[in-house]
Amino acid sequence: MKRLALALALLAGGAARASAQGSTTEVLTQAHDFYERLDIERALALLRQIVSPRWPFEVTPEQRVAAYTYLGACLALVGKRDSAVLYFRAALEREPFTDLDPGLFTPAQLELFHRARRLTFAVAARPVASTRIDPRTERVSLTIVTTHAASLRAELRTAAAPSLLTLFDGESEGLREVAWNGLLGDGRLAPPGRYELVVAGRSRLLERTDSARVYFDVRHEVRPLEDTLPDLTDRELLPEQLPRSAATGELLKGLAVAASALVIADRLANRELGGGLPAGAGIVASTATVAGTAAFLRRRHHRDMPENVAENARRRAERAAANVAIQRRNAEKVAATVLLILPAAGVGP
Amino acid sequence: MAREPAAQQRFSGTVAVSLAEHRVDAGFGRERSTGLVLGAGAGLHVSPRLDLAVRAQGGSLDASTPGAVDRDVGEIGLAASMTVGPWLSLQAGLARRVYSTLIARQGWTLAGVGAQAHLTFTGNPVRGLARLWWLPVASVSGLPRPDLAFTAATGLEYRTGAFTLGAVYSLERYDFPAAAAVQRLEQLAALTLRLDVRPGRQ
Repeated sequence: MKRLALALALLAGGAARASAQGSTTEVLTQAHDFYERLDIERALALLRQIVSPRWPFEVTPEQRVAAYTYLGACLALVGKRDSAVLYFRAALEREPFTDLDPGLFTPAQLELFHRARRLTFAVAARPVASTRIDPRTERVSLTIVTTHAASLRAELRTAAAPSLLTLFDGESEGLREVAWNGLLGDGRLAPPGRYELVVAGRSRLLERTDSARVYFDVRHEVRPLEDTLPDLTDRELLPEQLPRSAATGELLKGLAVAASALVIADRLANRELGGGLPAGAGIVASTATVAGTAAFLRRRHHRDMPENVAENARRRAERAAANVAIQRRNAEKVAATVLLILPAAGVGP
Repeated sequence: MAREPAAQQRFSGTVAVSLAEHRVDAGFGRERSTGLVLGAGAGLHVSPRLDLAVRAQGGSLDASTPGAVDRDVGEIGLAASMTVGPWLSLQAGLARRVYSTLIARQGWTLAGVGAQAHLTFTGNPVRGLARLWWLPVASVSGLPRPDLAFTAATGLEYRTGAFTLGAVYSLERYDFPAAAAVQRLEQLAALTLRLDVRPGRQ
C-alpha cells in the first residue's frame, strides 16, 4: 500500500522535472518539514494555501491528496478531530489507495483516518504496470482497493464483451491483489486487444456504491508460425481417369500393330519372292487386333487409373501428414505465447 | 545380400522358338524352305537407358518347293539398345549367320542400326512393338553386297512380373545386284515366340 511519506518523496523527486509544479512541490516539502518539526500552525498555513482555489500554481492530483492528508494529520494533532476527518475523507475520495504508515503517524491520527475511511466509500484499481508473463507459469497481479468493507466485484471487459471474465466477486476491505493468468473463462488465451478492468463495490457500512476502471492492452508475443501447405492443384496430381478418347486410342494401337504386320508381309516383302510367311503376319495381326479390341472394350467401361489414384492418395497423405506436423509445431508455438501487458487509456486506441 | 535383387535385375535371359521361312531366287526359280529355329540369349541392363544382349539361334529349314535344298542355319549376334524416349529406342547390332547345305556353306556377316517403337496399352501389361533396321553391312560369302538390306518386325509383348512373353513377326530382305542379267533375291521371315526372364523384376 502506498505510504504517504513515500508519496511525498516521490513528489519531491518529480518536482525537478515539472517546473510548473515547482512551487507546489516546494511548499509541500516545506509544509512537511514544518510538520516533522511539529510546527503545525505554519504547516497548516502552507497546506491550506495549496488546496485553496486561489493557489496560482498547478497542483497534481497526487499533490492535492498529500496536502489533504497532511492537513488531516495536522488538524488531528491540534485536536480538531472533525476537520481532520473531513480532510482525510477528501484525500480518500480522491485517492482510495491513500493510507497512513502506523510507524510515522500517531494512534490518534490513525484512528481519525480509519474513521474517515468508514465514512467514505470509494473503490479503485491501480493502473496496470507494463509486464510480460508466460501464462503457463506466471500471473499478472491487479491491485484493487476499497476504503472499507464492501461487496466487491472485479471483472475484465472488452469493447466487444461487456463482461468477459470475473476476477473477483466477494467481500473485501482495503487492498486486494487479484491474480490473472491471462486466460479467459473458457480457458482460451486472452486475445490481443484493449481490456478494461472494472471494479464495482457496494458499501457494507453505507448505502453507497462506487466503481472504478483502468485500461490495459494485451499483446501476444509468439514465434512466427508456419503456413500449412496448400491443397494439391490439378497440376500436382496425376489424372485418375483416362479420357474417353483413350479407348479409341487402345483400339488404334492394336490396329497399328496389325497393320504394320500386314504391311511388312505384303509391302516390304519382296513380291517376286511371293511375300514372306504371310501366315505369321496374319497371326500377329489377328492377335494385335484382338488385343486392341479387348483393350478398347475394357477402357470403355473401366476408365479409372488405379496406379494414379494410389499415387495421388499417397501424395495427399504425404501433404496431410506435413500439415499435421506444421499444425503441431504451430500449436506448440502458440502454447508458448507470452502476454505483454501494457497500460492504456480509454476503451480503444 | 541386400544388393542381390538389384544385381539380379541387371541380367536377363531369353529363349525363343521361331517358325522361319527362307526364300531365295538366284535365277533358278523361287526356292522356299521352312523350319523351326531355336534360340537363346542373355541381356545386361547396363543403365536405365542402355541394354546389351547376345543371342544364338539355330535350326533346320526343310525344302518345301521343288529345287530347294534343306539347309541348317545358325547365328550368333550382339545388340545394343539405347532408350531415347518413353516409346522409342535406338538399336545397333552385329551378327554372324551361317547357312549349311549338303553342297555348300555360306557365311553372312551383318551389321545394322535401327529403331524400335513401343505402343503401350494404357494400364495393360500388353504393349506393341515395331522395329526397322537398316543393314549397311551385309557381307555374304561368294556374293556381292546387297543393294537393299533391311529387317522389319512387329509384334506384341505381354509382361507379367519377371517374365515377358512376346510374339513377333519379322522379315529380312536382301536384294543383291544383278549379275549376268540375274538378280539374287533373298528373304527370311519368321514368327517368333520369345520368353524373356529378368529375375528380381516385379
